[in-house]
Amino acid sequence: MRRTWRGVVGLLLLAALMLAGCAAAEEAAEPAAEEAAAAPAEELPTSGLGDLPRNETLIADILTGRVGSPTNFNEWVGWKWRDRGMQNLANEPLWSVDFATGEIIPGLAAGDPDYNEDFTALTIPLRQGVTWSDGQPFTAADVVFTVETLMAHEGFNANSFFVENVASVSAVDDATVAFELKISNSRFHTTFLDRWGATWIMPKHLWETVEDPVNFEFNPFVGTGPYKLHSFDPSGFWTIWEKRADWDKSPTGMLFGEPKPRYVVFQYFANEGAKILAQLTHAADVVNVSSDGLKAVLAQSDSSRAYQLEFPYVVNNDPAQTGLTFNTARAPYDNREVRWALLLAIDIAEYMGLAVDGTGALSPVHIPSLSNYPRDFIAPMESWLQEFTLDLGNGETFKPYDPDAPQRIVEYARGRGNEISDDPAVQDQAFGLGWYKYAPDVAEKLLVKNGFSRDGNGNWLLPDGSPWKLSCLSGTDVATGHPARNCAAAVQAWKKFGVDATAYPSEASANLNAIGDFDVSGNWPAQEPWGAGPDLYRVLNYWNSEYVKPLGDTTNGHPSRWSTPEMDAVIEKLRNTDPTDSQATIDVGIEGLKLAVTEMPGIPTYGYVGFITWDQTYWTNWPGAENPYTQPYTHWGPFKYMTPFLEPTGAP
Amino acid sequence: MFVRRYLIPRLIQYVLVILLGITAVFFIPRLLPNDPVMRTVAELRARGSTLEPGAVDKIIADLTELYGLEGSMGEQYWAFWGRLLRGDLGVSFFQFPTPVLRLITTALPWTLGLLLTTTLLAWGIGNLVGGFAGYYSNRRWSHLLDTVAMVLRPMPYYIFAFALLLLFAYVVRWFPVSGGATLGRQPSLSWAFVQDVLWHSFLPAFSIFILGTAVWFQTMKLVVQNVNGESFVFYAKLSGVQESKIVSRYVIRNALLPQITGLGLSLGLIFSGALITEIVFSYPGLGTLLYNAIITGDYNLIMGITVFSIVAITTAVLIVDLLYPFFDPRIRYM
Repeated sequence: MRRTWRGVVGLLLLAALMLAGCAAAEEAAEPAAEEAAAAPAEELPTSGLGDLPRNETLIADILTGRVGSPTNFNEWVGWKWRDRGMQNLANEPLWSVDFATGEIIPGLAAGDPDYNEDFTALTIPLRQGVTWSDGQPFTAADVVFTVETLMAHEGFNANSFFVENVASVSAVDDATVAFELKISNSRFHTTFLDRWGATWIMPKHLWETVEDPVNFEFNPFVGTGPYKLHSFDPSGFWTIWEKRADWDKSPTGMLFGEPKPRYVVFQYFANEGAKILAQLTHAADVVNVSSDGLKAVLAQSDSSRAYQLEFPYVVNNDPAQTGLTFNTARAPYDNREVRWALLLAIDIAEYMGLAVDGTGALSPVHIPSLSNYPRDFIAPMESWLQEFTLDLGNGETFKPYDPDAPQRIVEYARGRGNEISDDPAVQDQAFGLGWYKYAPDVAEKLLVKNGFSRDGNGNWLLPDGSPWKLSCLSGTDVATGHPARNCAAAVQAWKKFGVDATAYPSEASANLNAIGDFDVSGNWPAQEPWGAGPDLYRVLNYWNSEYVKPLGDTTNGHPSRWSTPEMDAVIEKLRNTDPTDSQATIDVGIEGLKLAVTEMPGIPTYGYVGFITWDQTYWTNWPGAENPYTQPYTHWGPFKYMTPFLEPTGAP
Repeated sequence: MFVRRYLIPRLIQYVLVILLGITAVFFIPRLLPNDPVMRTVAELRARGSTLEPGAVDKIIADLTELYGLEGSMGEQYWAFWGRLLRGDLGVSFFQFPTPVLRLITTALPWTLGLLLTTTLLAWGIGNLVGGFAGYYSNRRWSHLLDTVAMVLRPMPYYIFAFALLLLFAYVVRWFPVSGGATLGRQPSLSWAFVQDVLWHSFLPAFSIFILGTAVWFQTMKLVVQNVNGESFVFYAKLSGVQESKIVSRYVIRNALLPQITGLGLSLGLIFSGALITEIVFSYPGLGTLLYNAIITGDYNLIMGITVFSIVAITTAVLIVDLLYPFFDPRIRYM
């Protein structure tokens, strides 16, 4: 009975998804019928794979959509849909971030970079015995050639970075490359650290004869990863990769062994319903869906699973902190007490219910509660957070931190009929360590202190007496887009508080964020961290005052346009800290996070929530929450490190 | 007289509409807040890439130069015409440096194959059946067909398409869930590939054909019923003219005039693609190409597709105008 009910609910969800997505013209899903509820999920259908053996082939969807330039693999110029298999199978970077394990995995590099004392020179040891997929050896000459080529042509994305930083690059020997830098830069090597993209190395033997490297298509792609290009659709719907016969000459093979799938297909589905139907018919092993899509698949399929086997099911260790960004260059959001008032007007339990049905992990600071971050940053900051005090005026103060906030999410989720473990460690991992109190009365005092008032209907007026209107900018993808979800929840909270708030979804949100044409945005409240390791330079540096531009100009730093001399000093301190000195790096990072909490240029809410489903008909041993041996996505670079651990079921 | 008063004005109108249409398409996307350079930078940033903040200004300058967006709007406009007259539609910004022409020519055969076939079939069958149903409007089969058309026509296309997909691709599994051809199969002129494409195209084609036929059927039936009530048909019947001649020469021929105009416009619109069909069936074509070009601010690609569309629609209208005198002799004696 319960199963039938779940099936019907799943089909209804499927129907709603398809219709809603179609109206939005991008994402969709698919409808319901009693016949469909009885459709044989256990039936093994034709794979539609042509000559490829289905049980040796893994099929995943392309996260970033239909490949617009299918014949072009020149990743170094513009945007090239690198998750079609380039970054995740066929290319090996020098290092990769694995946010599930918190480790930095050396791929083409053989170890850490070695900087001199003032960070103006470094050497990088390279892995020996690696070959390109065409059999040629990979050496330091390839790295030198890549850097020199990128510096020689302005059309390359990384041109200006290398021109500004590199004085010279040379091969000490086949396995060591040395850089002399123009300026001190203790994080120079991170340009080669893959976190959903990095500077990749070019095979010198193929590129050195190319006259116009910017327009070179690099087709077929040749990389040092364990897979090579098999074929692709000229319309950009699919790309097929084949395991190299000499996979043991790739860093993946050397580190983790032989990849199991013989072929990997990355396929584009124009709507979510098609993805879901493909998984229900075992024609797609991995699909990225929306929250409702996840429910539909789990309700309909006996062979599919989510990242977590129980509620909240979702991937909650993606290294991005979602939330809200204030435009601190625009009044009244240039006032930290107004920003704090808006934060305290949010009931986080209600907010999380609206945004992600209570499935995310809270973070009170501007990095997500995942990987090593709770241990290294959030937990050590707890005593400071508990003592952090706001001045409400007239000698009144308020301590906003609430270590029990995640418990309110737990109660919400239990109230929705979900079973939640009582184990505090499990709850901490799933719901975070703490957040802030819901205190509209305190928010009111902060606003009154700053000249705000309410009209006869209880609606807030600005200090000049005009009505306070606020819009929250986001993209238009409501199904999977966390900016839109954060805005929707925030608008509800602020309306309840008496602010005339509206959601402002726009296809031009990227541009509007960059030029500062918004009040509040669903943009990440801080630059995403690496996702592993102790270094928060990537997060803090985006708040550097040197990158802030006037409204109307494209800002180079964070869209909040917030900066302070104190934060500049922290960034400078971090620049002069050896990133391999973990404790020193963590200490400076915490200093920066404290400044961000004090000023609150953006409200961190929950860590990015991902919705993926794995079909276990052909492949098992997926890196779920119970066994997170690597990060769970097929679109991230370390997917190639997952392939040796997948187990074929042998299903026909 | 015919040439001076009918043909020449239409040829002038043809050229003017193309010039104005293309000019509008050049300027309108540039008024949108979507900037292709920023969109590319944002895409690189949003995907987690490390873009050193200090390097962003230079990247923006480089992309602006690469995309040919330097200089004033006027300078860009004249450069655009210079390129267009040489047959060069430029490169796609978002899919840089892929030439726009290559993107269009890759997608166009799929769209043409699907929409040309279904549009012509739906027009032919819808008008033929609608014509007879209109003339014999009191027959039971005419009422029955009219009822079917009345049920189908108001149905939102995407609901109809999803219903077909669910029924035939998931429940009975006769047709594939998505795509224009089997995964891994390369386009070729082999019979196997043609069969594969036909199999994949059936559901999208059927969905367009059925709803299109219902529309043509209903409009033709109404027009025929109107023409049937005209006095010249009444007199023809009184004069004992053969019924088959009345149907074909007096009624359907006259009723076809607005339908031919409609066909011309429908054929022209083919070049804009069938967005919803492409999304529902994950079918390759111009629709999603244009949609993605709009949301990414890819001016060159928007212009490339709409130039094709403008030329196609105006040419279709011109051809219809030129064919009219053959169907309607009154125009010849204007």
